[in-house]
Amino acid sequence: MIPGTYLPTEYLPILIMLLFATGFGVVTLWVGRFFRLRRPYAEKLIAYESGNPPSAPPRFRFSIKFYLIAILFVVFDVEAIFLYPWALVYDKIGIFAVVEMFLFIFLLLVGYAYAWRKEALEWER
Amino acid sequence: MVQLLFFYFALVVIGLGLRIVTCKNPVHSVLLMLLLFFHMAGLYLLLNAEFLAAVQVIVYAGAILVLYLFVLFLVNLREEIKMSPFVQKGKWAGLVAALALLITFLRGVFNFTLGPHGQYTIEKVQQITHTKAMGEAIYTTYILPFEIAGLILLVAVIGGLALAKKEDKGA
Amino acid sequence: MVHLSWYLTVSAMLFCIGVFGFLTRRNIIMMLLSIELMLNSVNLNLAAMSHYMEDIRGQVLVFFIIAVAAAEAAIGLGIVVTLFRNYRSVYTEDITILKG
Repeated sequence: MIPGTYLPTEYLPILIMLLFATGFGVVTLWVGRFFRLRRPYAEKLIAYESGNPPSAPPRFRFSIKFYLIAILFVVFDVEAIFLYPWALVYDKIGIFAVVEMFLFIFLLLVGYAYAWRKEALEWER
Repeated sequence: MVQLLFFYFALVVIGLGLRIVTCKNPVHSVLLMLLLFFHMAGLYLLLNAEFLAAVQVIVYAGAILVLYLFVLFLVNLREEIKMSPFVQKGKWAGLVAALALLITFLRGVFNFTLGPHGQYTIEKVQQITHTKAMGEAIYTTYILPFEIAGLILLVAVIGGLALAKKEDKGA
Repeated sequence: MVHLSWYLTVSAMLFCIGVFGFLTRRNIIMMLLSIELMLNSVNLNLAAMSHYMEDIRGQVLVFFIIAVAAAEAAIGLGIVVTLFRNYRSVYTEDITILKG
């Protein structure tokens, strides 16, 4: 097969699912416009907080704790991604693959220990 | 059919890219970036690189954009939307520089000829699956870059925490 | 038949969009996002070359670039958070301490 003519046919079901999901959302919202009532007034247009008046503006400042957790998530997500191809080939390469992967995991374990020491894993207050 | 899919993905990627750099609201930019990453994954699928498509969705769309969104909500700029998103001085200089770079690239692209072909034909990659082909290359030939990538990730976690974590309550 | 030069053209255009965004946006977070655009265009370039040369090396390089991009985003946004904490601003024209 010449490069440039390849068509990933086994992904056709995913394409159909994506088209169907997008189409369902768009079509139902669009069709609903013709049937639903639209009588807005001031109380109806404020942000919905379980019937109470809103206590604060919706765009308050996020805490730094979310960012710390996100950093840890990104790094260990990439580590997990490296494990997928390794899991498919380690029986072919043998003990060498196990050693190199444990070296890699040890490097990230150092980062994990640092995060633990820094109390980045605690969710205080 | 291949051309149709390619042109769809390529046009959406270029259009979203233009929209991202000109959008006033950074939150909208990040959300459009999410859409761009999904279309990028589609281009990877057309290139018979299904593992890269999965990595693109998991790492870029799933992890990196979450980081961007958290930082955007952390700095929480409300006045941004009223101001111009561009710098006052040097906006047109930036445009001219980018266009000049584009012309230079395109001259190179159309005079480009491929080198000798390797052994990973489409049929071979299909037969051993793309993930396994990647794994064979990474864990035999490219061990040193692999371990260096681990070191870079270690630097990322230590540096990120050291920069962002408050030392004391008073500081 | 999709030619290699088509992929390279898309990649070049995306890279130049990223360059434009990096040079002209005021917000440092948007500058980092433009860097992500440029990295994506380079990834597309490498993956396309790898596919058309029937070799796997380019795609391995893409994989490493994605891993390094994750580290770059973590560090870069950490710097943005520190800047914001010290200057209460993420705009390039407000952070002029090196001008003296």
